[in-house]
Amino acid sequence: MTAQPRRVDLVDADDETLVERAGHGDVRAFEVIVRRYGPLMRSYARRVLGRTDDVDDVVQETFVAAWQQLPSVDDPAKLKSWLMRIVSRRCVDRIRSRRDHADVADHESEAPEHETPHRRAEASSREAAVSQALEGMPVAQRRAWILKEMLGHSYDEIADDLDLPVSTVRGLLSRARKRMIGAMEGWR
Amino acid sequence: MTTELPEDLEAAGMSGEDVETLSLEPERLDGHTIDELADYLDAGMVPADPSIDDSPSCQNALDALTRVRMLSHGALEADALDEDEREDDWITEILTNISLEAHAGRDIPLPPLRETENSVITEGAVRSIVRRAGDAVDGVLIGRCTLEGDVTVPRAPVSVEVTARLLHDHGSTSAAVREAIAVAVGEALRTHTELAVTTIRVTVRQDGAAPVPEEER
Repeated sequence: MTAQPRRVDLVDADDETLVERAGHGDVRAFEVIVRRYGPLMRSYARRVLGRTDDVDDVVQETFVAAWQQLPSVDDPAKLKSWLMRIVSRRCVDRIRSRRDHADVADHESEAPEHETPHRRAEASSREAAVSQALEGMPVAQRRAWILKEMLGHSYDEIADDLDLPVSTVRGLLSRARKRMIGAMEGWR
Repeated sequence: MTTELPEDLEAAGMSGEDVETLSLEPERLDGHTIDELADYLDAGMVPADPSIDDSPSCQNALDALTRVRMLSHGALEADALDEDEREDDWITEILTNISLEAHAGRDIPLPPLRETENSVITEGAVRSIVRRAGDAVDGVLIGRCTLEGDVTVPRAPVSVEVTARLLHDHGSTSAAVREAIAVAVGEALRTHTELAVTTIRVTVRQDGAAPVPEEER
């Protein structure tokens, strides 16, 4: 007669609820966040860092840091972009320390080294064509493009994340735009 | 063309090898730069700029910009789907490295079981009790739970604020849902703590809806 109470699985929870719970110490809610955004963060880190063991480490560190900072999240509904900003900062830190240790003066112009195992050799889809175009970009250009067009960050935020003047960020994005449009011209 | 670049631009990865797409230069875009067009898109194309809106070449460029944006966005999400499912080990490692003390909050005294003992329960543990009680209400997930008042002093008045989300609407009125949560939380706190709870305020959000106003009990 009476309907059974339907317990809601945390997996179905919205980001806001998860942030509120995790920020109050709910480890299970945090685990759902890790499972929900871990893959996106890893794919982002892999694009920025290349295929290295660092990718897993950086994303793990990001989550451990995020746990501490959860109560300070201003807008819990923007969890994804908040996490992506932390992981992008950590990636930049990682690149810096790599550069400092390797003493490679022109690391930024180093050829992109990453290819995911799933990446096709030829552009068999538009997404693959985008990936190839991205991989052909200079590193800083690619990072700026990812932050702007994939993650929706503002010029100021990108400048902050990449530790560059806003004018430089604008220049990078201007070039990236032309390059991407040029590369995607065959995919109308 | 790179010879005049300031050092920081070079360090930032600019090079003369960037593809020049002539059709994207201002002379082909009725005097606009591709960057102005991108900013125009960012601003939702308001206020309307007829010199862009009425220019076929600008419209082409706006289409192209929109397309690469959409594709770029799709590429990262598609990559994420391609990511191998991580072993539980990878997640466990994260969960074992987080500091549980970070969100433990204040220590709340419990009546000592023995005279020599000083028992406490953490604020975090009380919140966990509140969540468990509230989650048992039909279709509800508890979000935030705040204890207001000096919980470190035994019997000091405490008011509890709870936010909840109604994920499965089963036809109950909001008031009934709030009441059910308040009752469940109140009971759990009486059973497991010594807190002198004076009020329990519950705010319920429904998907896409503004929060239902608080109700005091």
